[in-house]
Amino acid sequence: MRIRSLGRLLGRRRWRPVVVRPDTTAALSLSYLAFKDLITSNDEFLELVADIEQRLEGYTAFDTTYVRFRAVACATHVCRMVMCLDTLSSRRYPELDPVFGAIERQIEALLAAPRGTRSSAALIYPLSALDATLSDKVGGKAANAGELANKAHLPVPDGFAVSVDAFAALLAHAHLDHAIRARHTELNCEDVTRFNETSNDLQQLLTHCPVPQEIAAAILEGYDALCARVGFAPRVAVRSSAVGEDGEMSFAGQYTSVLNVGREELIDAYRQVLASLYSAPALFYRTARGIPDDVPMAVLCMMMVEAAASGIACSVNPGAPDSGTLLIAGSWGLGVPTAAGSVSPDSWEVSRDGLAISRAREGSKETSVEARAEGGVRWIGSAIRPAAAFCLSDPQVIELARLVLAAEAHYGSAQEVEWVLDSSGRFSIVQCRPLRIAEQSAWAGGDAATIVAGHRVLLTGVPASAGCASGPVCCLSESDDAGRFPPGAVLVARHSSPAYVRVMRRAAAIVTDIGAAAGHMASLAREFGVPAVLDTRVATATLRADQIVTVDARHGLVYEGAVSSLLAGRPAEPARTMKTTPVYGTLRRVADLIVPLNLLDPNAANFSPGACRTLHDIARFAHEKAFEQMFRMSDHVADVTQKAIRVSERLPFELYVIDIGGGLQPPAGESVTMAEVGSEPMLALLKGMTHPALRWWEPRRVSLAGFLSVATESMMSPQDDANVRRLGERSYAIVAEAYCNFSSRIGYHFAAVDAYCGQSPTRNYVSFRFKGGAADDLRRAKRCELIATILARLDFQVERRGDLVNARLRKFPRQVILDRLDQVGRLLVATRQLDMRMAPRAPVEWFVQAFLAGDYSFDHEEQPGRPTGAERGAP
Amino acid sequence: MRVVRLLLVDDEARFVETLSKRLALRGYYVETTCSGAGALELVGAKPFDVVLLDVRMPGMDGLETLCAIQRVQPLIKVILISGDASIGAAVEGMRHGAVDYVLKPSSLDDLLAKVDSAFEKKRLEEEQAGGTPAR
Repeated sequence: MRIRSLGRLLGRRRWRPVVVRPDTTAALSLSYLAFKDLITSNDEFLELVADIEQRLEGYTAFDTTYVRFRAVACATHVCRMVMCLDTLSSRRYPELDPVFGAIERQIEALLAAPRGTRSSAALIYPLSALDATLSDKVGGKAANAGELANKAHLPVPDGFAVSVDAFAALLAHAHLDHAIRARHTELNCEDVTRFNETSNDLQQLLTHCPVPQEIAAAILEGYDALCARVGFAPRVAVRSSAVGEDGEMSFAGQYTSVLNVGREELIDAYRQVLASLYSAPALFYRTARGIPDDVPMAVLCMMMVEAAASGIACSVNPGAPDSGTLLIAGSWGLGVPTAAGSVSPDSWEVSRDGLAISRAREGSKETSVEARAEGGVRWIGSAIRPAAAFCLSDPQVIELARLVLAAEAHYGSAQEVEWVLDSSGRFSIVQCRPLRIAEQSAWAGGDAATIVAGHRVLLTGVPASAGCASGPVCCLSESDDAGRFPPGAVLVARHSSPAYVRVMRRAAAIVTDIGAAAGHMASLAREFGVPAVLDTRVATATLRADQIVTVDARHGLVYEGAVSSLLAGRPAEPARTMKTTPVYGTLRRVADLIVPLNLLDPNAANFSPGACRTLHDIARFAHEKAFEQMFRMSDHVADVTQKAIRVSERLPFELYVIDIGGGLQPPAGESVTMAEVGSEPMLALLKGMTHPALRWWEPRRVSLAGFLSVATESMMSPQDDANVRRLGERSYAIVAEAYCNFSSRIGYHFAAVDAYCGQSPTRNYVSFRFKGGAADDLRRAKRCELIATILARLDFQVERRGDLVNARLRKFPRQVILDRLDQVGRLLVATRQLDMRMAPRAPVEWFVQAFLAGDYSFDHEEQPGRPTGAERGAP
Repeated sequence: MRVVRLLLVDDEARFVETLSKRLALRGYYVETTCSGAGALELVGAKPFDVVLLDVRMPGMDGLETLCAIQRVQPLIKVILISGDASIGAAVEGMRHGAVDYVLKPSSLDDLLAKVDSAFEKKRLEEEQAGGTPAR
């Protein structure tokens, strides 16, 4: 037993990078692989950061799955970078990993789904027990119903709510949690067919899932208690009450309500409503609004009222928010058609002060819905009902207006209310949610004189959602494929159905034959900021497909063509933004730990693990240190003697190469020629260094002043002892097929070149570092300036500090990289003689031009500013 | 280029079936098993390049299996798969030697990019171990 647990202990030991003695070839190979890995991860991490920044602008929709996936991807890449740096640097930065761990844990904490406290997990709540504070348990709709009934004391039909805990228990019992989430993450709004398939799958799962005995019993008990309270067995309306519904976001009409349900059908109706959580419009709505995918769903069972008339009312007229009126719309029978936008209802505008009816518009009310005795509802044509008269008398309208204003007063903000008038003339409020009114202020176009001259008005209708837009007409019916709706088109439809939420993100405006400003689709249009003109009666008959129209939703007008004067005054980019959604907040907080860069300057004191606050900081640190390590690597190599092969070409120094993979053709002997060098970047460098025009090996006339200067320097700088020793010593290069790392001390200069050159430009780079050199300060500075200037002309990004030049070339195509390496090779050799060739007052630019022109003679006589005869020879 | 040999380890039968079929269609050699113990047996008996390993399985879980595989076949690359977007688990997996971490479900192309990259790493490491660069 003890041995086994010990074994497990060892088995679960943290993986440690294999630490190899730095002076072996194996170490080099490992380092090279780790380095490659690191730069790859860095590139991918930076792309992820860019993607997150784009989402943070707020125009592209995303959900919590996106946030999680991105966070995990960022963390794994940066983790890999930390581990690679560990290997690469032989554990030189042990403080980095704990810092990474701390940040990673903070991100994890932000993403942890809040586990609801299962303290009081009641399955059923009677209406009398509900108020707004319980919306987490029973959803927005039920909580609001309770609030209206118990706190605002408005007439609300009795009922009970089936809580979110019941839903959770149902899912757990049927093991649906994981299955739902898995399918949910496959959702892709762009692929409409897949989307619909996934939606159907999910709905099927719920409609047929087994209901645990405990829950079924509780639901029936709740119903029986209701019966006891009201004294008979009522029919109920089973309605969705999702958490978050009827709050900041309306979810208007997105979920199913099942009406006129008796005791026997109650459980089935419950499941049906749950299933509507995954209907295509509901899924679209949630994705567009950035709602976290785990939506807890409660259900409200409310007594059905025998409705003589019903409809919707808004405490502020959404079509004319500044007019000081409220809007009431209604029709015969149950309120379904009005809300669903499928009937042309009666509507009244009532002044808020004084409660007088300022305008009444009779709707055709051609269909209505009534309950059937045997359950369910039926739609009736106008032949059966008196369609001529208004469905409410004037005194009734006023009474309703009072109720609506009372609801508004209770909540302190404009409300949208569903009302019912029963056969004995009593009103009930069935549903209530905050009224969303689009911003009016910033818009300056078309004020009092509403009709713009010179343009034909095609239609007039009811303004339902403010704004002005223009586009080609696209007629759509509810059964049509939303995928074919082109972005920027004007949606023209017969009914104002909430199912059109599918296209709201893409529509420029909406025009319908039938509908009301108070209705689900109107609510949605206002939420999405899409201008809408409803109830035009003849839109589908009048407008032609692809015809350009301008919709002035402020005044309820549709013009032919594009009316520029109306469009000109539009406020900048409507707020179709994710920024107000809950998941945006999550991304923002997570992004704060990933994206900001604090470590800006590698030379600053704060460029250290301790100063890292974000994943980006860690990546930056690791990236910078990795380069440093690679540069240093070839220096260490001086100790390695085995496998270093001499390059037998005419070079001003002895060059030894160490192959770590594909850098050399299998060498026959102790040395290789350029023909056997397989490393492309090394080859390019060698080509440059062996360029025929660089006649370094021929004795040249040397400026005595220059020579003496060099000699003096070397004698008088004991700290350069090491340099002096290395004069003429070996230079080393580490090579692989697409990589080379070269360092040398040519004469008194130290130069290092590190380059990767593959097929893909993203990974390609050349790093060049040059330091010092003999000769006095003036010449040294000039030399650095020369090198820096030439490199800058060769597209490098150059940094100069004293006599150190640091240059980098990034992300160029292979051929460019190779060409530049060739130039760098020439530069390395050409500058060797420059110490002795450069007259003190020669302008740097002259040398730059000469070099870039391919003239490496730097002929002493031809230099401008050359010393006169009198000066020559003077020390 | 020789065929990449994959071992897919996951206890969700439907997922395994679908994925292995799609991988095979793309030209990968795939074997499957539904448990950690099964995975150990297979990597001991046959050569594999990359193992796609589910993190949460009954019995021997993903991390245990990962460590066990590495002891038996140090050169095999293991990519962890999880339905759970937990950063802590991902990082822990990497620290235990997993070469990458993939969330379920993820697009096939993304998964294949990681598989190919892991295979490339394995190839390079084998070359270093072998000494002479192979073309």
